[in-house]
Amino acid sequence: MNRARPAVVATAFGLAFGFLLSWGTLTDPDTIHDMLRLRDAYVFLMMGAAVAVGFAGIRLLTRRPRRAAVTGDPIVVRTDAVQRRHVVGSAMFGLGWAIADTCPGPVAAQLGQGLPWALCTAAGITGGVLLFQARRRARRPVRRAIGQT
Amino acid sequence: MDFLSDQPPWFVLGPCLGLLVVGLLATLNVRMGVLGGWSDLLDRIDGRAGSVSWKGWFFLGVILGGLVFHIAAGTTTTGVGDGYGWLSREFSPPVVGAVLVAAGLLIGYGAKTAGGCTSGNGLGGTSFGSPAGLASTATFMGTAVAASLLIGVFV
Repeated sequence: MNRARPAVVATAFGLAFGFLLSWGTLTDPDTIHDMLRLRDAYVFLMMGAAVAVGFAGIRLLTRRPRRAAVTGDPIVVRTDAVQRRHVVGSAMFGLGWAIADTCPGPVAAQLGQGLPWALCTAAGITGGVLLFQARRRARRPVRRAIGQT
Repeated sequence: MDFLSDQPPWFVLGPCLGLLVVGLLATLNVRMGVLGGWSDLLDRIDGRAGSVSWKGWFFLGVILGGLVFHIAAGTTTTGVGDGYGWLSREFSPPVVGAVLVAAGLLIGYGAKTAGGCTSGNGLGGTSFGSPAGLASTATFMGTAVAASLLIGVFV
């Protein structure tokens, strides 16, 4: 398989996603703020429709075993059981989302649209990701040491 | 293009986003998500990863999508003319910048801990029917609505 093809396809899907987020004004903090203050149902309805189509489409796609069109891998719908980290992490994320009225996808699209404020949010997200990675790396040797005892 | 200056109806935009989730699974066998691209690129920059995976390319595509929209529509949809939402209406620019950095830290660290953001858990995880995706989405939606209503009490 040509290694460039997944990169091109992923970029094309990302481009469509960023374009649609921008067109839907999900890059405007006031759109998100009005949604989260329960003043405008647009984003709730839009997300509900997205999940309904996504859920139905995936069920149709996986009715029989198939391979991914570009990578050739057998298609697997991976699901995870709920763990404490999902709730704790999402509560932190939700708080940040409410304050900044944006999240990683719209921040990326804001950067593309040239919004200077997005640099601040992006710097914070980068710091958060780096902090998470550093803490995870710091914890791993301890776990290995515990496993050896 | 004039039609781009109007927000599309929710029943048009939503299904289009849903089809992107299905399309990524059908072509690359992956769950859509933006934050994974963030870490993927950081791993590549500091040399922990030898190459950029689909996640990094997807993330760069989202940035490109914002740029293409800006060029095609001849305008932005970031509310840039009015500053930055409620924060700019309440605070001076240096405070807005500091608050956005702090909120970004919560977003980045929290979403990495939860294994996904609004796209990864909210669209991808829920479309997959993943219990973790559903619980994460319910949690961040509930927290964000409660926090926003609380903010509304003070501003």
